[in-house]
Amino acid sequence: MLQDVTFGQYYETQSFVHKMDARIKLLALILYVVLIFVVKNFYGFLVVGAFLIVATIFSRVPLGAMLSSVKGILFLILFTVLLNVFFYQAPNETILFWVVSVESLTFAGFMALRLITLVLGSMLLTLTTTPVALTDAIESLLSPLKVIKFPVHELALVMSIALRFIPTLMAEADRIIMAQKARGADFDSGSLVARAKAMIPVLIPLLISAFRRAEELGDAMDSRSYSSSAVRTKYKKYRLTYRDLIGSIICVISLAGVILLNVYAGGIV
Amino acid sequence: MQIISKSLTFSYNEKANFSRRALDGATLTVNEGDFFGIIGETGSGKSTFIQHLNGLIPLQSGTLTVGEFNLTVPKKRKEKKAFLKSLKQLRSKVGMVFQYPEYQLFAETVREDVAFGVKNFFPNASQEEVDFKVKKAIELVGLDYNLVAEKSPFDLSGGQKRRVAIAGVLASEPETLVLDEPVAGLDPVSKKRLMSLLHTLHDTGVVKTVIIVSHDMNDVMENCNRVAVFENGKVVKECEPKSLFENYDDYALSRLGLPVTAYLTKTLKGVGVNVESSYKIEDFTNKLIEKYFENR
Repeated sequence: MLQDVTFGQYYETQSFVHKMDARIKLLALILYVVLIFVVKNFYGFLVVGAFLIVATIFSRVPLGAMLSSVKGILFLILFTVLLNVFFYQAPNETILFWVVSVESLTFAGFMALRLITLVLGSMLLTLTTTPVALTDAIESLLSPLKVIKFPVHELALVMSIALRFIPTLMAEADRIIMAQKARGADFDSGSLVARAKAMIPVLIPLLISAFRRAEELGDAMDSRSYSSSAVRTKYKKYRLTYRDLIGSIICVISLAGVILLNVYAGGIV
Repeated sequence: MQIISKSLTFSYNEKANFSRRALDGATLTVNEGDFFGIIGETGSGKSTFIQHLNGLIPLQSGTLTVGEFNLTVPKKRKEKKAFLKSLKQLRSKVGMVFQYPEYQLFAETVREDVAFGVKNFFPNASQEEVDFKVKKAIELVGLDYNLVAEKSPFDLSGGQKRRVAIAGVLASEPETLVLDEPVAGLDPVSKKRLMSLLHTLHDTGVVKTVIIVSHDMNDVMENCNRVAVFENGKVVKECEPKSLFENYDDYALSRLGLPVTAYLTKTLKGVGVNVESSYKIEDFTNKLIEKYFENR
């Protein structure tokens, strides 16, 4: 069933990483992404790997949940690797056969590592942070933009509503699929075009229901005089703790480590 | 088709740590010709149960036979494939009308929407045959074919939409019709009309067996010849509605609320008026009137 699909699902538990401030975690992720793109050699990935392992241990998230995210992009990784193996060109290549060289293989491996660590890192964020905390964090981090009249609150609201309705619409899609199956619809066989066509009886009712829900939600908000311009307080206040300090320090040390390794060990090519 | 389920058990998210047992050994027999009622609280497993009847949910444990179909999923790959293919045939025989079926309409016209099932189940049927079946189904549910056929289903009223959705199931000529909360959200007049429509379909033999799911005691009392009460995924009672009425003090039944007639009998007894018990509102009213004139 559709609900089984892991979509950045929150893993409920108590841990050091879970208790960290979502804002810090989000900033840490941005730093981490920068880190991955700054890395120039495999030694740097040792630092990234160490960072990931430490973070995973302290998040108490099962390894299986983390690795399942890689399974989802396996095709993308394979695609990237193949493209790089065949099209990467470096000066003074050591050709192994045809266009495949030692350099292209190394570079392909490098790209694969980059993708995998990228996904694992962002997976760790969504596994340890509730969607609500995440949108709150985005709102808080973007709030300086209010000065230039950027609708920060509205953006956060749109995001949280969208996230909130993912499971609802998934359940709805499940129900509609069942109903159409009961009328003999076949979603699992036939050509690609036939299968795409078979989705029409699901997509149209789903779209209609999404619009209906949106309208109902809008009415419900209106009836409670919801206004985005109103000054509102937060139910949950986020405060920085020693955990956030430690987390930030580890991130900065990792970045420094990677930069140092870049300087002293050089690039792979 | 006779439906026999034995110790049917089903859990959602079977492997996850938050799995929930929706069915816990449901044992039940529905005979051909029954107007069968399934009642239970929300979450008692009634919807999960009926979704097994045409293979929308694969069997986890227990056995289920629907007519000559055995719904146990074969383990061998080849047999499993053949089994999954045969489900289509089963689905054409067991028509399933979901809760709020009007939310599943999708086609541009009523005619096309009703034809969807027919075309799926009878891929070799000619256009004339399809049209004939569609017309018949639309007329069966009491709509004027010439008036609605070319209309968009989204332009119809709520009650009409539901009729169109039911026609969409009837068009493939199922032997058994299963309806999940068919009157939910309808006004009293549409409710009554829909119920009498189901009775007409049943009495005239358009469908042989009707199964309705409801959490309203009165719906089931008034309409069914057999009733099963679901509680926590089990069938706690399977009987005639009359005996359900007579044992309304049972825990399971009191949670569902008393049927109107039982409530009145009880209240009248409290003030010293003894009315012979009868569970259908019409019979009950007649007896009450008789009693009234007797006393005058």
